[in-house]
Amino acid sequence: MKTTQSTNRRNFLLAAGLGGAGVAAAVVTAGKTVKANPGGEAPPDPKATSYRASAHVLKYYKTTEV
Amino acid sequence: MDALATAVPLKRALAPEEAARGDFYALFARLLHNGPNDALLRAIAGAAPIPADGDPALAAAWRDFVDASSVMDADAALEEYELLFAGVGKAAVSLYAGYYSGAPSIDHPRVRIQADLAALGLAQRENVTEPEDHFAGLFDAMRVLVAGGAGRAPASLDEQRRFFRAHVEPGVSKFFAALARAKAANYYLKVAALGTAFFALESESFLLD
Repeated sequence: MKTTQSTNRRNFLLAAGLGGAGVAAAVVTAGKTVKANPGGEAPPDPKATSYRASAHVLKYYKTTEV
Repeated sequence: MDALATAVPLKRALAPEEAARGDFYALFARLLHNGPNDALLRAIAGAAPIPADGDPALAAAWRDFVDASSVMDADAALEEYELLFAGVGKAAVSLYAGYYSGAPSIDHPRVRIQADLAALGLAQRENVTEPEDHFAGLFDAMRVLVAGGAGRAPASLDEQRRFFRAHVEPGVSKFFAALARAKAANYYLKVAALGTAFFALESESFLLD
């Protein structure tokens, strides 16, 4: 039953210590990277354009090669 | 007073465990976006402990992370961040989920992340130059889905689960394992341990409805 399952998940998280956690004191506002996109505007169809790796994307991936 | 006459949209209070999840995502997004500054280190140092009868790995990792934050210097943290993640030519540890999930160059995860964010009413901010599979961006998206923000209410658990399993879960444990192995990691070893503990709980909790 949905209610029971929800309770199970909630109990699991609470038992793990989330809920009483002190993380809230460390909430931060910097580093936000997403914004509202109310129209849900879809990006260009990747299949129509193939994968478009811009120069900065390629540069970023280059720096991550190990 | 004018303020009393102004209509204010009511927000349903988030359950404390969901608020804590949102806070964890905000914290990881911030720590992977840049090194912690003094204000953040102080805030973490003053944070309350996770109850000892909670998940032992999470409680211990949080305690170590809080202790490390209380003695960490922001300049040293920034230097460590740059050594780990922003090395010229080769970063010691990749911050990109696609790196850990074996992303092909065609149908790369960043393309699917863009589409999934759009379907959720979200998009990357214009001033963000990193590709969408940067873990800071993925964690910030999860923060919004869990706690609401960026003009939207919290997402349903099903929506959270779909985004998590498609874009976060495939690479996140490998990422924190790589961070834990990095020679340059010191403060970020504590971040790695905390991330490992938290995301193990996240994966397990998503098995429950």
